[in-house]
Formats: sequence, structure tokens, C-alpha cells
Amino acid sequence: MTSIRMKNVEKSFGENKVLKGVTFDTHEGEIFGMLGPSGSGKTTIINILTKQFSADSGECHVSAASHEIGLMLEHDGLFSRLSCLENLVVFEKIYGIPRARSIEALERVGLGESLKIAADKLSKGMRQRLTLARAVLHKPKIMFLDEPTSALDPLTARGIYQLIKELRDSGTTVFLTTHNMQEAVSLCDRVVMLHNGIIIEQGNPDEICNRYNATKIISDLEAVFVQLTGGLK
Amino acid sequence: MRSVNAVFYKQLRDTLKNTPTLFQFILYPMMALIMSVMAVPDFEGIPEDMLAIIADNMPNMVTMMATVFAGMGLITVIPGIITEDTEKKSLRFMTMAGVKPLSYIIGVSGVIFFVSIFTSVAFSLIGGFTGLDFWIFTAAMMSGVAGSIMLGATIGVLSGAHQAAQGLALPAALILGFGPMIAQFNDTVARVLHLFYTQQLNIVANYLTQGGVDTPLWQSFGIMWANVAVLGLLFVLVFKKKWPVAFT
Repeated sequence: MTSIRMKNVEKSFGENKVLKGVTFDTHEGEIFGMLGPSGSGKTTIINILTKQFSADSGECHVSAASHEIGLMLEHDGLFSRLSCLENLVVFEKIYGIPRARSIEALERVGLGESLKIAADKLSKGMRQRLTLARAVLHKPKIMFLDEPTSALDPLTARGIYQLIKELRDSGTTVFLTTHNMQEAVSLCDRVVMLHNGIIIEQGNPDEICNRYNATKIISDLEAVFVQLTGGLK
Repeated sequence: MRSVNAVFYKQLRDTLKNTPTLFQFILYPMMALIMSVMAVPDFEGIPEDMLAIIADNMPNMVTMMATVFAGMGLITVIPGIITEDTEKKSLRFMTMAGVKPLSYIIGVSGVIFFVSIFTSVAFSLIGGFTGLDFWIFTAAMMSGVAGSIMLGATIGVLSGAHQAAQGLALPAALILGFGPMIAQFNDTVARVLHLFYTQQLNIVANYLTQGGVDTPLWQSFGIMWANVAVLGLLFVLVFKKKWPVAFT
């Protein structure tokens, strides 16, 4: 069943046309990756899907209400003076869920022993994990993750990959944007490649590699991308 | 209701941990206390009856500081909270989770109103207001606080960014906070400010501390509540027009 659908979506900021007829759909319970370099329009797509921007034209459908969506965006939006637990308690009260879920979410991301530490005292990686705990707190139907592991050490990133896979296994649709090919290969069931606001390729990472006579290794997917785009100019 | 409760929880915790904001609620009563103790006239060689006249004509420190708190402190606090949540994108996450903008404003304002009650009680204790005087003072203070919350929230929503908010809040705070103080020495300023809620708060507090005030209490409260209603309306208008921009 389709979770997210975009059809011929266009979006401009002034003279700058950021999305040029983007069309794709995601299925329920899959990890869907949107690959592309910085400035290719990935974050704009998330902003349109989460109704923070409206598209200039085209159709857009997300099969979940806003409170059924989990978000991990570029800006973490944490309450910096509040502790890890207090940050989650605010959302626990909004969603009307029991306290145990906040503690469980923090333990799940490895912050079980940092409940009382203020968010502004956390390292970048810990903040990222706290943001992820907040996103999964209410067991969302759809998760939007905007470059979830950017600037994280490999060990922390691996922990986050594991959690994302667990979410997928429990039926959540995960929509993630990344410019990290390793992330796409090791996580995604399907990917689309976005370049200058146009989708240049989409499918299963294996299929894409086969299509271009490449093996499913990180450097090859990267090579496919470079072959398709001609590299960054 | 759940959303208001969540925002109230967040704001109360945040206010208690935010030293500069918390300081606003403690600073003014503390200054009133210190200035009341220090401002007792005691000049060598001046007869006692003369000293009593000087003391009678000096502005009351509780009256002065309570007006400055209601007019000045709060007008800068509320926009600071709103713009911080906007700039750090915390508000975006709350609205995405289902918090309606109005619930957010009610939650934030509720905390400021709640914490202001303690400040008002502190002023009452320093001013020695008991019995009916205590209730009259508290009612006047909370009316002033409500007016400043409305004005502060309007500025917060209107500006959207911290720098812009301070640019708008500061002149308003200076006029409303210090205006009544100047009005004590200048009749023209007093006449101009007569329709402002902080001037009426000042008049009520003066009535309680020194008596001999021309404006009847009912009129002062009437003007203050009319101010709250007008500022409330202004807030609704700005809110409807500007809010969608504030949280994207």
C-alpha cells in the first residue's frame, strides 16, 4: 500500500526552480531513501510532505495525520535547557502516552543513563539520538529523517541504522534523505536519485547497480551517481 | 487541553532553568526591598518633622518597582520566549505534533501569569499590604500582568525573530514601565498616560500606600481591563495575520 505519493511536484523560490516535476511513491513499511547532493531539493521535498511549504503545482499525498508522523529534521528543535527526559515528557503529554514510553525511547537510543542531562550539555551525536527518541516516541506510521547521521561517528551512526531497521520491521514507513551512499546501500529498500530538482534514477539499490553493470558496493553506487550526473560542477 | 498542559509543563520547567528570565521575576521585588530600606531620609541637622515631609513626598518604591515589573519586565520576557521557540524550530516540532498555535500561546502566557502571582505576593509582603489591600493590589497587578502578556505576545508573533522583537519591545517597555514614574513628577505626562494600564496600576498602588488619589478605584480597574481587552483584540488580529509565518 502506498504511504507517500508525489506526482509532478514543482517548487520555486523566487527565480530558483528547486523541484522540476518530481514523481515517486513509497510503500508501507519500507525504508525509502532520497539520494542527492546538498542543494538538490531533498529537504524541500520533506518540507512539502510535512506541510511546511506548499508545492507550486503537482499532487502530494501522505497517508498519515500530522500527529502520526515522526520527524528528525536538519534543526533538532530541542528545548536546550530541559533535560533529555523533560524534552520527551513535553511530547508524551501532547500525544497522551505513558511516562514509561519516554524512558523506553531514551533507553532504545542509548540515552538511558542521561535522562537528567540538559540537551545543551549533550554532544552532537547524543542530541541526534535524543531527536530520534522524540521522533519514535509515539510509534509513528511514517518517519521523515533528514540526513539522520550527518556529522555522526560511525559507531553512533550504526546504532541509528539499527533503530531505523527495527522501525521498518515494526511497520513504520521510513523516508530518509541522505548524500551518504553507504547509508543508502546499507539501509534502504528503495532509493531515488535527485539531481538539480529532477529524479534521475529510482529503484532498489541492487537493481540500480545491475542496470549500470555495477556490483552493490558503496563505491559503485557512488560511481553510478557520478556517471548519471557527470559529477558536481 | 492536553497541548496546553504540555506547553505549560515545558514553559514552567524552562522558566525555572532560565536564569535571565527567572531573574526578571525576582529582580524587581528585590530592588523594591533594597530601595525601601535605603531610601529612608536621614540627613544630619534636618528636623524630624521636615524628614517626615520628605518621606511622605518620596515615591513609594513598591509602587514604582511593581509598575516597572508589570510594564517593563514582562513585555520583554514573552517575545523572548516566543522568538526563541521559533528560531530554534522547537515550535515547528510542537505544531507538527498537533499543538495548535493558540494552545501554545495560552500555555506560555499561563506560566508567565502563574509565576507573576509569586512576584505580586512578594511586592505585597514588602509593601505590607494585608486584608482587602492585599487583594486590591493583587488584582491590580494581575490586570497589569495580563495587559503586558497580551502586548508581549503580540510583539512576539509580529516580529518572529529575537532581534526584531527586542527592537519593538524595548520602546514599549520604556514607555509603559518608566512612564508612570515620570508622571509622578510631571502632570502633562500623567495626563497623557492616564489611559495606559501601567499608569492605572501605579495609581492603585499609590492609593494603597499613600492614599489621596483622585481617580476612583473602579475607574482605574475599568481602564486596566479596557486596556487588556484592546490589547487582546490587537493580539488576535496580529495572530491571525502573522502566525503561519512565525512557525515555518
